[in-house]
Amino acid sequence: MAGIFNFLASPSRFRRLSERLYPYTIFLMVLFLILGLWYGIYSSPPDYQQGETVRIMYVHVPAAWMAMMIYFSMTLMSIFSLVWRHPLADLLAKESAPIGAMFTLIALVTGSIWGKPTWGTWWVWDARLTSVLILFFIYLGHVALIKLFDDEEKGSKAAAILTIIGAINLPIIKFSVDWWNTLHQPASVMRLDGPSIHIDMMIPLIFMAFAFLFYYLSFLFINTQAELYKRRVKKIYLQNLMRKEK
Amino acid sequence: MRNFFKLVLRDFKLVIKGSNETLAAIMFYVLAIIMFPLSSGTETDLLSKIAGGAIWMAALFSSLLSLDRMLRSDFEDGSLELMVLSKMSLESIILAKCLSHWLTNGLPLVVLSPILCIIIGLDFSYWWILLLTLLIGTPSLTLIGATPAALSCVIGKGGVITAMVMLPLMLPILILGAGAIEAEISGLGGIGHLYALSAILPISLLVAPFLAAKAVRLGWE
Repeated sequence: MAGIFNFLASPSRFRRLSERLYPYTIFLMVLFLILGLWYGIYSSPPDYQQGETVRIMYVHVPAAWMAMMIYFSMTLMSIFSLVWRHPLADLLAKESAPIGAMFTLIALVTGSIWGKPTWGTWWVWDARLTSVLILFFIYLGHVALIKLFDDEEKGSKAAAILTIIGAINLPIIKFSVDWWNTLHQPASVMRLDGPSIHIDMMIPLIFMAFAFLFYYLSFLFINTQAELYKRRVKKIYLQNLMRKEK
Repeated sequence: MRNFFKLVLRDFKLVIKGSNETLAAIMFYVLAIIMFPLSSGTETDLLSKIAGGAIWMAALFSSLLSLDRMLRSDFEDGSLELMVLSKMSLESIILAKCLSHWLTNGLPLVVLSPILCIIIGLDFSYWWILLLTLLIGTPSLTLIGATPAALSCVIGKGGVITAMVMLPLMLPILILGAGAIEAEISGLGGIGHLYALSAILPISLLVAPFLAAKAVRLGWE
């Protein structure tokens, strides 16, 4: 395990690896997106109670999963960055935050659109919705905090510290539907006694989840590459300046 | 350990003798609570419903105000660096700072709460749950706020930024604290919320000093 992290510790090695992986992740994303949309829109039955609006769930649920998954991975990266000073962990966490914020926003907006016909209201202050909104603000705080520092490396370290404190929100989100009597329904897929939804709805859900996962990976790769190239350009620029001085 | 209590005592004395800022934060707490009846009407029914939330809201903002200065003066004039050069670790210094901050800013809020309970029109039979939530919640507020406070020292610009970073982290405590009172009033029993609230305190006690110390060291790099 440690070998992999050591292997990825060199930014240029990571860049080369991600450049090689990037086409595959894009391909897998498009593949799963087409499959997921096909099953989600045409090939799955409407719900007996929710009717056609259930199809919103095929976007909403995977987006909410990704919102939490990305925050969890950011927490791991922050621990890596603070404990082992892994040079890439900061960068990956920094590039993950906007994508995570986007998925959180998608989950909130689609949930609200679904809530209007089903619950009769756009928004309720129940524990699940509120805790996800807090997650969104924590993501925004992460993005803002890095920009506040003049030195980007310091900003990333500060943001890493913030991420770890904010991780206390994750179990609250996950278990909010069990701890409180919420309008939001309890978990139906990630349960100890197995999923309670029908296989016809499970298939598009899983496909969309994979599509979103590969979306995250490919955009993480491309953003990180861009950032690494930006740093290299800066370095070369500085080197040229030094040469001219001589 | 003796140094730890010496440091707590030093900060405590500094607050008592010196600045009026702590007093101002406590006055703000009382004033903010008085604002609620003035702004949202004085009907007793309505007031008794929002009372728990109003008191918690005021407590949150009061600690936001005072937290920003918890480490600032010692960070800026270099006393913090000198303290680290002594035998104490930065983590225990931060813990001592948090303790003295809670004694001077958190504890008064807790002690005042039964009186404010009467002012705002919360049924007096619920004073114990209000007191308990504040007693468990305010130390968590201090501990969780310590890290953003340290970060704001490092950035050098305080105020709004600290609030923006700090508030989302504190919201779970606010929700649980105000929720406990509301659940108790509605007859559901607030003890469940109280358990969750008291789970946050040891976690933040364990994590906060290390993260806040990390944040302070960031400023010295």
